[in-house]
Amino acid sequence: MSERKVIDARGSFCPGPLMELIAALKLLQVGDEVEILSTDQGTAKDVPEWCAKVGHETVESGEKDGHWYVVVRKAK
Amino acid sequence: MTALPLFIMLSSADRDKLQLASMIASVAAVSERPVHVFVSMGAIKVFDKNASGNDRYGDSAFNAELCDKNAPDPIEMFSQGKMLGDMTMWACSMVLDVLGWEESHLVEDLFDGQIGLTKFLSDAEEGQLIAM
Repeated sequence: MSERKVIDARGSFCPGPLMELIAALKLLQVGDEVEILSTDQGTAKDVPEWCAKVGHETVESGEKDGHWYVVVRKAK
Repeated sequence: MTALPLFIMLSSADRDKLQLASMIASVAAVSERPVHVFVSMGAIKVFDKNASGNDRYGDSAFNAELCDKNAPDPIEMFSQGKMLGDMTMWACSMVLDVLGWEESHLVEDLFDGQIGLTKFLSDAEEGQLIAM
């Protein structure tokens, strides 16, 4: 059964949130999801761009409670 | 399609330049783009394993802000790029010779060896070269 892991990268500067996401993805199974939380506004565009480039799936992204979030599904 | 390799040549101990170089290198490396970093001239002193903290960097226009905000250290980001992506780092053999340093003088587990400028430039013909 797939799972969703949450990574709180709030307070981390670019490219910290992306690096934390990548490190987490390496430990997960295909189909698992990761939600990354970030106070770096660039994350909201950088992470989906990275996913499109390397072949993972952006499930959703947005802003809530003063931070940005992106949910990524490991696709390979 | 295979991404065009990125070759980054570092020659300065300026924190601003090294900060940006490490960001470029690490992000490219984890984006399935091979990255090769060549460290020469004053930049090599930053990678002295006996240097510590922010003292290893030369001053720069943005250094104070980077330190105040605890921005990630460039050496840490180069290490992350190597760990998570496709990155190799080379020390310039000429500057090691000038300083009388062996590779063992450099930050551990970061460099893949030392090479000369001619070899690096030759390899860089197959990709995109950035000098900072």
